[in-house]
Amino acid sequence: MAETHQDSGGGGDIDLSQFYQIFFEEAGENLDLMETMLLNLNLETADDEELNGIFRCAHSVKGGAATFGFADVAELTHKMESLLDRLRRHELQPNAAMVDVLLESADASRSLLARHQTGDTSPAAPTGDLVMRIADLAAGNAPPPPVAKPVAAVVAAKPATPVVAGQRQLEIKVGPLAKPEQADAIAELFRDIPGLGTIQALSSDRKDYRVFAVDTASTDDDLLDLFTFHVAREQIEIRPAAVMTPVPVAPVEDASHGFFDGAPGAPEIATAPAAVEAGFGFFDGAPGAPVSAPEVSVVPVVEVQGVAKTVAKAAASQAAQPEAATIRVAISKVDQLINLVGELVITQAMLAQNSRALDPAVYQQLLTGLADLDRNTRDLQESVMSIRMIPMSIVFSRFPRMLRDLAGKLGKKVDFVTQGEATELDKGLVEKITDPLTHLVRNSCDHGIEMPADRLAAGKPETGTITLSASHQGGSIVIEVRDDGKGLSREKILKKAKERGMDVSDQMSDADVWGLIFAPGFSTADVVTDVSGRGVGMDVVKRNIAALNGTVEIDSAEGFGMRVAVRLPLTLAIMDGMSVGVGDEVYILPLSSVVESFQVKSDAVSTVGQGSQLVKVRDEYMPVIELEKVFQVPRFDFDKNSDIMVVVEADGSRVVLLVDELLGQQQVVVKNLESNYRKVPNVSGATILGDGKVALILDTGALVRRSRH
Amino acid sequence: MGMMEKMDELSATGAREYLTFRLDQEEYGIDILKVQEIRGYEPPTRVANAPNFIKGVVNLRGTIVPIVDMRLKFNCAKADYDSFTVVIILNLRHRIVGIVVDSVSDVMELPPEALKAAPDIESVIDSGAVMGLGSLGERMLILLDIERLMSAPDMGLVSSGE
Amino acid sequence: MPVILAVDDSPSMRKMVSFTLLGAGYQVVEAVDGQDAYEKAQGQSFDLVLTDQNMPRMDGLGLTRKLRDHPQFKTTPILMLTTESSDLMKQAGRAAGATGWLVKPFDPAKLLDVIKKVIR
Repeated sequence: MAETHQDSGGGGDIDLSQFYQIFFEEAGENLDLMETMLLNLNLETADDEELNGIFRCAHSVKGGAATFGFADVAELTHKMESLLDRLRRHELQPNAAMVDVLLESADASRSLLARHQTGDTSPAAPTGDLVMRIADLAAGNAPPPPVAKPVAAVVAAKPATPVVAGQRQLEIKVGPLAKPEQADAIAELFRDIPGLGTIQALSSDRKDYRVFAVDTASTDDDLLDLFTFHVAREQIEIRPAAVMTPVPVAPVEDASHGFFDGAPGAPEIATAPAAVEAGFGFFDGAPGAPVSAPEVSVVPVVEVQGVAKTVAKAAASQAAQPEAATIRVAISKVDQLINLVGELVITQAMLAQNSRALDPAVYQQLLTGLADLDRNTRDLQESVMSIRMIPMSIVFSRFPRMLRDLAGKLGKKVDFVTQGEATELDKGLVEKITDPLTHLVRNSCDHGIEMPADRLAAGKPETGTITLSASHQGGSIVIEVRDDGKGLSREKILKKAKERGMDVSDQMSDADVWGLIFAPGFSTADVVTDVSGRGVGMDVVKRNIAALNGTVEIDSAEGFGMRVAVRLPLTLAIMDGMSVGVGDEVYILPLSSVVESFQVKSDAVSTVGQGSQLVKVRDEYMPVIELEKVFQVPRFDFDKNSDIMVVVEADGSRVVLLVDELLGQQQVVVKNLESNYRKVPNVSGATILGDGKVALILDTGALVRRSRH
Repeated sequence: MGMMEKMDELSATGAREYLTFRLDQEEYGIDILKVQEIRGYEPPTRVANAPNFIKGVVNLRGTIVPIVDMRLKFNCAKADYDSFTVVIILNLRHRIVGIVVDSVSDVMELPPEALKAAPDIESVIDSGAVMGLGSLGERMLILLDIERLMSAPDMGLVSSGE
Repeated sequence: MPVILAVDDSPSMRKMVSFTLLGAGYQVVEAVDGQDAYEKAQGQSFDLVLTDQNMPRMDGLGLTRKLRDHPQFKTTPILMLTTESSDLMKQAGRAAGATGWLVKPFDPAKLLDVIKKVIR
C-alpha cells in the first residue's frame, strides 16, 4: 500500500500541519455529503447536477489529501473520482453495484482519515480490493463510439476561426433523438438570440444524432439552460472543439505547469527553455502574462450582450458551502455563555426580589428599569438556549445508510420515512438519544419487518416501511419509531414471561404485556441474530431514556405493526420553580407541574394498606407523598411539621406532596447534577439559590411514578 | 495496573509535583495537575440516600460539585468542621469533586530517584490506588492515583452502568 | 502591495493559499466559488487571480471568461489551479483567456515562484 503520509516536499518554511484540522473537517463533510447524495441517487434518471455534485465531493477530498500529503486517501479518492467522472460525462450508467462500492470507499476513506487524525500507526485496512472493484466497474461499459473523429475531419476543412478572447470553440453533440429535427430548434436559438454566437451543423455518423460546431462566449451551463427548452439535458454533450491551432506552450516537458504563449499576462518566453520549473505554465500572450518578445496585438474583445437568460439558474443546492450562513463555535464557549446568562438571570431575580419592598412612587424609574431588565433577560435567555438546539435531522441522518445495509444483509425490503426533521432538541440530548433510537430502528428492521415473501403472503406490500418522527408536545419532545411489520405477539410474550417465572396473568392489559419486553434479557426472537443483539436491548433502551428523565411507550397490533414512542423533557436550563421547605432544607418544584396547594385537613386524609395515604381533593382521591420520608430529611425542630399539601401533575397523573411551607416562586437556573456526581432518584437537577446555596430540583414525573407502586 | 508498572509510569515522566495532605496518621501525595483549588469548608446541600461520607453538593462558581469527606470514608479518628477545615477541589477526567482531608501541607517536587515501590503498604486507603512511596528527607509520602481512587465504585460517585 | 483574489471551494486549500500569500507580503481576498469571486471583482481591482477549476455555481473556466469580458480585468493575470494537465484542459483554459496554469498538488514555494513571474 502506498506510504500513508509524507510532507508535501519542499514546503519551504510553511508548516502545512496547521491546516490539517480544517481539512479533516472539510473532508468529513464532503464524504458525508457524498454518502447522502449517493443514497438519494435515482439510478434510472440520475440528474446531472447530482452526479456533478458527487464528483465534486470526491474531487475535493482528493485534492486536499494530495496537497496535505495523505497519499493513501488521495489514491483511493482518485479512483473514486475517475469512476464518478465517467458517470457524470454519461459514459457509464449508474447502477447499484457502483453505488455500493462508492459508499464502501467513502467509508474506507473516512477511516483512513481518522487514522491520520489520531496518529494511529497500526496497519490500515487494505483498500486493494475496493480499488479493483472500482476499476472493474469503471471499465465495465465500453465508451460510446468516438463520434468526434469523423467530425474532426470535416472541421479541419473549415477555416480556423481566430481565437478571440472570451470566445470559445465548442463541439456540441445532441442525441439520441427520436426526432432529430428537434435539434434544429437549437440552431434557431443562435439566430434568435443576439450575441449568443454562431452555430454550424456538422455531419454526424449516426442518424439519431446531430453535431454542431459552435462559437460562443457563453458558459456551458448557460447553453444547456437554453437548449433544454428543446431537448433533454442528457441528450446534450458539449466539448471544446476537437481541433485547435496548436497551443504554443513554453517548452516544458514537465506536465505540472505551463504558460500559454501569447496569452494575456504570460511571461516572456526565453528562447532557451529557462522556465523548466515543474508545475505551472503561462499562456503566452494571455492577459496579464509576462511579456513575451513578439508583442502580440491586443485581441479585439467581443462585446457580449447579456445572453438572454430565460431560465433562472438554480444555485447549486449543495450544502457544502453554507459559508455565510453558519459559523463554528466550540461547545465549551456555548456552555460558558449559557452559564453566564444563567448567572445573569439569578442576579436579576435577586434584584427583582429585593426591590419589591421599595415604594413605587419614590423609585418609579428604578422599578421601570428593573421591569425592562426582566424582559431583556428573558429574551436573551431564550436566544442563548436556542443556540444549543439542533434539528432532529442530525439524528435521523445516520439511519438511511444503516437501514440500507441492514435490510440488505437480512434480505428484506424496507423504506425509510422521516417526519419532523426540523424539530429541535438540545445538543446534549442528541448525543444520548442516538443509541437507544438506533436500537429501536434495528429492532423494527430485524424483528418487525417480515421477509418480502412473508409480507406478500400476508397481503402486504413487499416493501415494509419504518417511520421515524419527532414533534414537540407540551414541554416535551416525542420521538416515534413506527413500522408496518408483524407487530408484537401477545401470546409469545406471555409465554416467555411465564417461562422466566415472571408474575403475569392472561388478564393483563395489552399495554402491560408490551411493557414486559423491557425486562432484562427478554427477547422473543426465534433466532438470535448478531444484528440486534441477544435481547440485551430493550431494557437498556428504557434505562437510557429514563436517565434522560424520559419515558418509553409501546403500542402494537399483531400483524399490522408496532409503535414505540419516546418522550423526553426539553432540557431548559432556566425554568420557573416553586420553592418549598421541608425541615431545614429547600426543594424546588417545576412550576409547570404545580396545580394548587392548600393546608392539610387531617380528616381528608385516609390511610390505605401498607401505610400509603390518600387524600380527597374535591371529588378526586390522590396519593400522598411525604417529602420528609422520601428524602429522609432530618428533623431538628419538632414544632414544625409538614402540613402543606401541593398538588402536582406529571406523567398523566396527579399526586399530593406534603411539605412544611411554601417559600416562593422564582426563576431558577437548572444545573446538572450528574456531570460531577450521579443520577439521584426523584431529582432532576439542582439550582443555585439567591444566597449561593444549592437546592435540588424535584423530578415530579418520577415522584408520580413512584406513587403508582 | 501492577505496582511495577505504576512505578515505571511515575519515573518515566520525570520529576513531578505533588500536593501533600494529611489523613489520619499518614501523609499522602497527589499529582498537582489534578488539583484545581483549595477551599475552606462550607456546609453542602445534603443529597438524600447518599452514603454518609458524601456530605452533599456545593456551588462552585456555578458548577455543582459533590463533597466527599475522606475522613469519614476511611474511618479516621474524628471529622469536625470548623474554620480550619480544608477542601481540595479535584479536576479529574470525568468530574470535578471536592474532598475533605485533615490538613493540606505543601507542594513537593519529587525526582524519579525519590520514588519507591510500596507493595505491602498498610494504609486505610485501598492499596489499588497506591502508586508508590515518595521519600524526601525525613518525610514519607504515600502517592495516590487519585483518579482511580475517586472512580472506584465504593466511593459512590459513579452510578452503576457508567 | 499587490492584491490577489484566491478562489477555491475547499476551505482548507483556501486557508493554505491565503496563508502562503500573506506570508509573502501579498494581500489576499478569498472567494468560495466563481460566482462569489466575480461579485467580489465588481468591488475592487486585483493584481492577480488564482482560481480552482471544479467549483459549484461557476467553475474556473466560467470565471475566467467572465473576468476577461470585464473591462477592468482584461489583462489581469489569471492562473488556473487544476488537478490535471491534459491538453483538453489546457485548450479550454487558453480559450477562456487564462494566463497560465498550475497543477495541484503544488507546494507553497512553487506557488510563490509562479506568482512572482506574472505579478506586477
